[in-house]
Amino acid sequence: MGKHLLELKGVDVRYGDVQAVWDLSMHVDEGTIVALLGANGAGKTTLLKTISGIIRPNNGEILFSGKSLVKLKPQDVVGIGISHVPEGRRLFTRLSVLENLELGAYPRKVRSSFGESLDRAFKLFPILKERSHQKAGLLSGGEQQMLAIARAIMARPALLMLDEPSLGLSPLFVKAMFELIRTLNDQKVTILLVEQNIHQALKIAHTGFVLKTGKIVMSGRGNELLTNPEIQKAYMGTLG
Amino acid sequence: MLDILSFGLVSQLLINGILFGTMYGIAAIGLSLIYGTMRIIFLAQGTIIIFLAYICYWFFKLLGIDPYLSILLVVPVSLLLGMGFYQGLFREAAALEDKNISLLIAVGLMFLVENLMATIWTPNPRSIMTTYTAYGVSTLGLRISFTRLMGFIMAVLSTIGVNLFLNKTLVGKAVRAASEDMEAAALVGISPHAVNGVAFAIGIGLAGTAGIALATTYSFDPYFGFVFSLKAMIALALGGMGSVTGAFLGGILLGVLESLGSFAISGGWADAISYGVFLIVLMFKPEGLFVRSVKKA
Amino acid sequence: MKDKRTLIVTIVITAALSCVPFVINTETSYFVYFLFLSFTYITITQGWNLVAGYTGQISLGQHAFFGLGAYTTAMNWIYDITKTGYYFDPVTMLLSGIVPAIVAIAIGIPLLSKLRGDYFALGTLGLGEIIRVYFIKGGTYTGGPIGLLIPSKVYTSMRPYYWTSLFLALFATAVVYFLTRSRIGLALTAIREDETAAAANGINILKYKIFAFSVGAFLSGLGGSLTAYYLFHISPESVLLLKWTLYPILMCVIGGSGTITGPIIGAVFMTAVFSIANIYLPEMHPILSGLLIILVMKFMPKGLVGLKEKIRPR
Repeated sequence: MGKHLLELKGVDVRYGDVQAVWDLSMHVDEGTIVALLGANGAGKTTLLKTISGIIRPNNGEILFSGKSLVKLKPQDVVGIGISHVPEGRRLFTRLSVLENLELGAYPRKVRSSFGESLDRAFKLFPILKERSHQKAGLLSGGEQQMLAIARAIMARPALLMLDEPSLGLSPLFVKAMFELIRTLNDQKVTILLVEQNIHQALKIAHTGFVLKTGKIVMSGRGNELLTNPEIQKAYMGTLG
Repeated sequence: MLDILSFGLVSQLLINGILFGTMYGIAAIGLSLIYGTMRIIFLAQGTIIIFLAYICYWFFKLLGIDPYLSILLVVPVSLLLGMGFYQGLFREAAALEDKNISLLIAVGLMFLVENLMATIWTPNPRSIMTTYTAYGVSTLGLRISFTRLMGFIMAVLSTIGVNLFLNKTLVGKAVRAASEDMEAAALVGISPHAVNGVAFAIGIGLAGTAGIALATTYSFDPYFGFVFSLKAMIALALGGMGSVTGAFLGGILLGVLESLGSFAISGGWADAISYGVFLIVLMFKPEGLFVRSVKKA
Repeated sequence: MKDKRTLIVTIVITAALSCVPFVINTETSYFVYFLFLSFTYITITQGWNLVAGYTGQISLGQHAFFGLGAYTTAMNWIYDITKTGYYFDPVTMLLSGIVPAIVAIAIGIPLLSKLRGDYFALGTLGLGEIIRVYFIKGGTYTGGPIGLLIPSKVYTSMRPYYWTSLFLALFATAVVYFLTRSRIGLALTAIREDETAAAANGINILKYKIFAFSVGAFLSGLGGSLTAYYLFHISPESVLLLKWTLYPILMCVIGGSGTITGPIIGAVFMTAVFSIANIYLPEMHPILSGLLIILVMKFMPKGLVGLKEKIRPR
């Protein structure tokens, strides 16, 4: 497809005595959608947090366009082009929709193109334009998820990482969500997607990885994995 | 007692209470900023206010600088002091989960500064007397002293200033965001150390303003700070942790309660009642009396 | 094996310390006074250690309990409530511990059930102040701002003070030692580490917190009682000072809070520092203690005991 935008080599992550990620290697090709799947506690969220700098790996290397991320703090990771929409959205509920978006464009590099980024966000999420002066905490669940993603793309990331974006959303919103992800990908944003909703995720993903207790137990092309009966086993825990 | 209560008297008490309360208010705003971003209870706030009051006093006594002119000196010094406190004392402690450590550092700072002032500048009470100290405005049968009015104006302007900063500037919004969710703020590119430093700087900057107001209106001594901190905290509890205006109003409310209270009952008991109110508010409505809570995302 | 060794060491040291008055002239020796002071501080510090070090509740109102203990002792002597008549009366001292403990329970129930962490610390601060105001305004019973005077004619020798303080220090340390090794101690540590998890495991958080809080108050009260006997004149100025909270905190933290020996090391060390400072730089006490707290919290949050301990990565 393209070169490796993101590369992980031999990454270990430990919380005190518990190891969450074991010697993990994977890569994300530029311009693709990569799905990271697995049951709860498999280490998917930990992995995203390690990439975005919230957690420091104990071992291994993480390269973004060849540059090492391992020593960077989260606020710097945004600056080099990776946006992370965390589990639970983590919006600034006491601030307005517009203020959340303004803060999304906080990194120095992207401030000058704020107007452009805002237009793009409003085009993708018209509902946010309507509600731009409302406090973020007053939006519905689906709208909040939209805002979280919109805020993340205000930083004009090359790589967008989404942690369970469909969690808790109505089926209508879920459908819209995955269409949105595809649209973003068409706009040249590489996507790393953590999802419980295997079916929808693999439908749009170019590549998929299945994680179990911190190790990759299956990987392959999206459409192949979708039809692979083993995937259920990997998920339920009888494989690997 | 009721027979000596007159409209004039009550109004006078109210006015005095409001004017004094604004000092509690801006001290409380400072505490709120520091607590909001770093979850640190800066117990030394009152003592630092006293320290800055002394600075204002010495500028006047030794260099003849008019207190209101010294705002131009004291406030920048306070801002730098605040930044210095963060970088020098609280930077690492702010990141720790155990908030007791930063609490103890604040306590240590309070003890240190309080007794340093007492040793170097003696425990004798000080106050600033200028040509206009005795000036007052008399309207509607009430007397408002000039310096107290000035103190009130300074407090109001500071509050408006801080509000503008928090709501209209990007850095201010970053401070608000970080107060709510530091990790999410980092994920959009906001550096925790940067906002913490700003919050501390402003917190102490406000202390500087309060210090000048205090120095020009009342007499003070080094040990006054601790009680002042407590009162500021009561004001904050009354007004709510999340809101600048709330903290300000909380201060005014406390000032009024104290003013009326210490007239009705003797001074000491009025204090005890303030502390009692404090405990009750802490226990039953910690988010303050003026704040509506917003649903979490 | 380790426990046996500790026991022997403790007995030996205690025995040695008990013999000091036979070897040194207690009336003129500064060293004896220094030990007396240290032992008193150990007693109070262990109290704070239990509440804050082991249970994780930072209480900034210990001086209130200290003062209550002192006042109980003084009032008992003056008004002869227990009618026991003699001076270093265990009943009085016990009472001086129990009164603050009861107050702690009464206050603790509302306070601890509603307030967590920082808010609790603030609450205890407010509490300390309320009690202080109460004593200042207390009228004839408590002597108001001037305080109470215990007749000093009864002072015969430093010896009973010394031995009593040694006993109290030992008692306080033993209390903390046995509590923390019991199931209670496990519960307290669990609460300190993770309250929610502890609650989920069926631990009655409130009950244990109140227990620790009241034991801490009891020990502080004992310290207050001893001090009242020594000072003869107690007033809000002398016994209801924030310093009686701050110094124990400092000592506990410097020595290592949450340990048995921490308060001992801290108390002895700090008393030594203060004594030396008193000679060369009088009046610098509080400045020094303020500075020390800052330095210790910044660079050695685990205290002297914890210097060897490695910090677990999060």
